[in-house]
Amino acid sequence: MTTSTFVAGNGWLYRFDPRAKILLMLLLCVWFFLPVHLVGLYVAVALIILTTACNTGFSHAWKTFRSILPMLLFMVLFMPFNVRDGQALVQFGSFTVVTKEGLLQAGRLAGRFIGISYVCTLLFATTIMNEVMLALRWYRLPYKAGLVVTLAFTYIPFIADSFSQIAESHRLREAEAEQGRRLLQRLKDLVPTLTSALVVALRSIPNLAMSLEMRGFGLSNRRSQYHNLASYRHPFTHFLLSAIIPVVLWLLCKA
Amino acid sequence: MQHALHISNLEFTYRSWKEEECDSLFSNLSLKLGEGSKTLLLAPFNKGKTTLAKIICGVCPKYFPGNLRGTISLFGRDLSTLEPWDLLTSCSYVSQNPQEQFVATSVEEELAFGLESLGLSRSEMKERIDAALGHWGLESLRTSSQQELSGGERKRVLLAVQEVLQARLWILDEAFDDLDQTWRDQLRKTIQESDNTILVLASRYLQEFSDLFDQVVLLDQKRIHTPAFDALLPRFSRLCGDDLPSPLDGQVLDSCKKHTLSCIDLQAQRKRLSTLQGQMFSLSVPNFHLDSGELVTLVGPNGSGKSSFSRLLCGLDDPISGAVCIDGQPFTSKELSKKVGYLFQNPDLQIFLPTVEEELSWSLKRRKDLKPEEMRSRVSECADLFGLKLGDTPTTMSYPLRKALQAAVYFLLDRPFYVLDELDSSLTYNSALSIIARLRQKGAGLLLITHDRQFARGIAQRGYGIGDGRMASL
Amino acid sequence: MQQNRNALKVAVVAVLTAVVVVFTMVVRIPTAKGYLNLCDVAICFIAFTFGPWSAFIAAGLGTALADLISGYAQWAPISFLVHGIEALLIALIVRQKGDKEASLIRKLLAGFVCIATVSLGYFALSSLFISTASVAAAEIPGNIAQSAVGFVLGLGVASAVKRAYPPVRSLAW
Repeated sequence: MTTSTFVAGNGWLYRFDPRAKILLMLLLCVWFFLPVHLVGLYVAVALIILTTACNTGFSHAWKTFRSILPMLLFMVLFMPFNVRDGQALVQFGSFTVVTKEGLLQAGRLAGRFIGISYVCTLLFATTIMNEVMLALRWYRLPYKAGLVVTLAFTYIPFIADSFSQIAESHRLREAEAEQGRRLLQRLKDLVPTLTSALVVALRSIPNLAMSLEMRGFGLSNRRSQYHNLASYRHPFTHFLLSAIIPVVLWLLCKA
Repeated sequence: MQHALHISNLEFTYRSWKEEECDSLFSNLSLKLGEGSKTLLLAPFNKGKTTLAKIICGVCPKYFPGNLRGTISLFGRDLSTLEPWDLLTSCSYVSQNPQEQFVATSVEEELAFGLESLGLSRSEMKERIDAALGHWGLESLRTSSQQELSGGERKRVLLAVQEVLQARLWILDEAFDDLDQTWRDQLRKTIQESDNTILVLASRYLQEFSDLFDQVVLLDQKRIHTPAFDALLPRFSRLCGDDLPSPLDGQVLDSCKKHTLSCIDLQAQRKRLSTLQGQMFSLSVPNFHLDSGELVTLVGPNGSGKSSFSRLLCGLDDPISGAVCIDGQPFTSKELSKKVGYLFQNPDLQIFLPTVEEELSWSLKRRKDLKPEEMRSRVSECADLFGLKLGDTPTTMSYPLRKALQAAVYFLLDRPFYVLDELDSSLTYNSALSIIARLRQKGAGLLLITHDRQFARGIAQRGYGIGDGRMASL
Repeated sequence: MQQNRNALKVAVVAVLTAVVVVFTMVVRIPTAKGYLNLCDVAICFIAFTFGPWSAFIAAGLGTALADLISGYAQWAPISFLVHGIEALLIALIVRQKGDKEASLIRKLLAGFVCIATVSLGYFALSSLFISTASVAAAEIPGNIAQSAVGFVLGLGVASAVKRAYPPVRSLAW
């Protein structure tokens, strides 16, 4: 099981300062909620998809679209039925099914959905998790919070591997399983596996705490940092860009 | 001259989670290590080596509740007044089980963590880390995460962490285990050339240690003994039970129907679990057979395909060509899992019930044809055979007992064949052999997988060797 | 001297967060309507066994990280709030002094709160930030089913773990 959201590539976003990237992502997400006219919205979405394709590659851009497609279809099918008043487009007798407003709203929300998905994906695909955490710490995220996230990422593969081994071990132990058990029985049979998996995970907690303290967690002096963001040489410019791009988009696309 | 480590009258008892008290682990234990000296502490598995190491590092009883009495001083400082993080530059520990000591997502971060706690400058950190990575051959694994590393590589990462911290006392718990020959030599060289005080805890591969140490002590009957050199090794092997007759000698097996597990021209493929992405690992087995009542061993280095083969045998994976047969008939994986039992190296993978009795009865309960009294008698017979107490809580039992419980569970399942994955790791040879003897009692055929060639040669009638995915009989 | 338990607290929350992520992503039971994931089992287990704050952080952070890793980053803040509050409320309701078992009434109340928080929380936040009320409403039955199943299983697993591994009591904060 992979926990990596990073996609290797060489575009300009990879060289963009992570702190500024986070700001840009947040501002763009806010922008999508502002009242902008529909055409502008879709132009922005197209630009974002283009940026994704240029930075992380076309296959990644397509994969992102594919993963949001089910939800998108769901939304498109259900949303137009939401708004009932307005200019009717499809009618069954006196019962309005789809209105122009409904369709417009659906279009707007779908566009917003696609846009925000791509923006968030882009942030995590072009920045390694380590640097995301460093950037958050620069934003004054407490050290302990960052440590919890890093440790969680360290332990996810271990727990996932134990889990599959435990499932196999239980499967071998029972080995009397009949095919096509009802859902209730399958859930009940899951309890031993879940219990063992949780016990294995819980057992690792004292060891982790012990290792943290043995490596100096708890010392009162200030911790230094092995990795930092010094390799990003133009933070100020990047911050400026992060602020300017959403503002420009807003001014151009105001409804 | 100040002693590096001075322990006097140490007593320790683990906290008991049942009504009865646990037996004390140490009683009146004293040990003195001079600064710069190299000491070897011998003790069989499960007698308290690791607990002693953790007490010295200050994390026991903080994280492993128990009753501690006595005084310990490290470089003149009383341990009871210090927290584990105060000992960062005084004492460092490499655990027997590398998994439990990882705190970071990549090898580089792992080395940097302790240095960041010390508040060192970036350049100093970089210098130390680069030196350690080079020393232990980890340069190419700089950004690998723990899951991508093999057991030996993980051990080397922890050794590198120890080197980077430059603590004054090094404690190595079974450090030579898991390492390939080249790295064992490297570790020998490191110990030899180091100025630090070194304490190595060991119970195996003793031939590596012959001339390295100033002092060799024995942990026996809850105290430290310093016998004369000639008496040392014999006394130690007596402690481990090596001089006891092998439980396998003269074992008379219950008569039963004989079966044969075999495969001819078996081929399989598995994704390689290493930093080389996308490379498939091919396994080819020209010929293999195991009869009921036989004990056969499979030896090979780490990563050679031992566990891939055992997964095929017990039906967890499917082969690409060829099939695993019992009595000449090919079996599907589902059917195989009912005939071949697989004891994972980690016995905790299937423990989930509060008492030994419930664990043992659980598999029997699912069979509708057993009466409750018969089930109970079988369960208590089995517990007696394996030396288990019915009311014990499995998760708080010691490691050898949990291994025995794992074997007991499978014993009750009555499979005709068993695959034992690295049974002898972390167990004395005698304990491992007793478990093997009991499983064999009803005439089952056993395949023991190990990387200890000496042990394999001594006990098995036939052996197979595996290297780089090809298996051949020895 | 008051023992500094920071490392233990950090370790507990980190490992529990990882557990929630694994349970959300790795275990998928196919049902008629798609996949059932077990995040609520993990969350309820944590809420029953550990204290309110560790439950809040582990549940919230765990589901948020799972969303992030799976590519549904938009839901991350919503999951954080919904599951975090779910865990916090359940833990507060069933919290008892010492080793006493919570009464049946408290458990039923906790179950109700669990199902209500998840279904209403997702409904409210999704309709505000992701899509519209009608779309979000369509997800309610699925959420109710998943959280109900998760709660019952979580209860069962929590008591099984407490009996199988008594030292867990010393880990809770």
